[in-house]
Amino acid sequence: MNQPTALEHILITTKVEKVMNWSRATSVWPVTFGLACCAIEMMAAGASRFDFDRFGAGIFRATPRQADLMIVAGTVTYKMAPIIKTLYDQMPEPKWVIAMGSCATAGGPFDSYHTVQGVDKVIPVDVYIPGCPPRPESLIYGFMKLQDKIMTSSLADRYKDIFEEVG
Amino acid sequence: MTDPNVPQAPEVPEAPAGPYVYDYKAAPNRQIVMPKTVPLPSYRTYLAEQKAAAEADEAKWQKSLADYETAKAKAEAEGKDAPKPPVRAVPRKDDNDLKTPWPQEAQDPDLLHLQACLGDKVEEIFEQAGELVCQVAKEAIFEALMLCRDDRKLAYEMLADQTATHYPAASDFAFTVVYHLTSISRRKRLRLRILVPEGFAPESACAAYPSANWMEREAYDMLGIRFANHPDMTRILCPEDWEGYPLRKDYPTVGWGQRDISFREDRGGMLDRIALQKAGQLGINLKQPKAD
Repeated sequence: MNQPTALEHILITTKVEKVMNWSRATSVWPVTFGLACCAIEMMAAGASRFDFDRFGAGIFRATPRQADLMIVAGTVTYKMAPIIKTLYDQMPEPKWVIAMGSCATAGGPFDSYHTVQGVDKVIPVDVYIPGCPPRPESLIYGFMKLQDKIMTSSLADRYKDIFEEVG
Repeated sequence: MTDPNVPQAPEVPEAPAGPYVYDYKAAPNRQIVMPKTVPLPSYRTYLAEQKAAAEADEAKWQKSLADYETAKAKAEAEGKDAPKPPVRAVPRKDDNDLKTPWPQEAQDPDLLHLQACLGDKVEEIFEQAGELVCQVAKEAIFEALMLCRDDRKLAYEMLADQTATHYPAASDFAFTVVYHLTSISRRKRLRLRILVPEGFAPESACAAYPSANWMEREAYDMLGIRFANHPDMTRILCPEDWEGYPLRKDYPTVGWGQRDISFREDRGGMLDRIALQKAGQLGINLKQPKAD
């Protein structure tokens, strides 16, 4: 009958791309970066009650050079915008951005002289999380959506993007 | 040939002045409304207001009396019944809990001591809700601060807060700068106030209270009041290349087209200035390079 052989007990077959995506999606290291009150919820998501580390995203790095994910948690002011851009540029590829809360997605209540109306005016955003501030569950859900995005991404797409940029 | 009955095409609306002009028609509550009054608490103004109100009340009473006399005379001449005599209205009892406490005459020894020491330089002293207020001449603010700090009877060791307010409706001044002093040893608080016209640079309080450094920078950043002899009179909250002063009443909430983000390294021009300075020390003119 179809009894697995001894070799099949210890071997699995898959695609290289899938392994790459799986490894990336399950060890996303965010950069320690909070701008306003949403950062409190981000810290709560990282603490023991919600435990962001269950999804492999609990290691908040203190430098953007070791991080894969930037959670823009809070209001983006015009004074902070160039600094966010610098931090984003310092992150190594592949990198992702989550805009957390209504301020980071669309300016929130601050339709004002000092607030950038959404962080997507400065850097590209992968996942938007609504809420003011979003609960840690929302952040975790948004992060799982990002994991889905990472799992469905393709190396070929990435290279296509880069080569199209170069021209 | 044009048909005169066809209505003319509507005029092309004017192009907006900048790339980010706010649509005030969509949100009329966002439009700038300049204040018409100067809500500056002051004992003198309060007394004048009370006097004016009493005079207006008296004039109204006299007028109603005169009206009654003429009506009475007219009724007598026509043989009718005499009209009712007027009744003077009793002033309504206000709920004092809901009212702003009015300024009262200064009783506190601190205020009296300040006035005795500074003399004519004190413009006004009063108390309001138990808070001591002293308005001094704008040229004498540093002297008053030093006196409050060093005098044994006053001993205000701490500058708890320093801030400013814009009063565009006032005619003889534009801003008030307010110094909130705290005496930790005597458990008292005092408020010093100066009235500053546009363009006047009051003396910086940094030499007396070092905590004034950032608060004066904030006042400069938000309202454009420059302080003389300040160690670093630059913006503190807004970006270095910001234009305008956001806390002035004529500044729109949505800004003056400050929506372009500058990613330049040297946004305040400080590096440029340092380079020019260094080059000047070395005898190189960077501004006008020599033509070969």
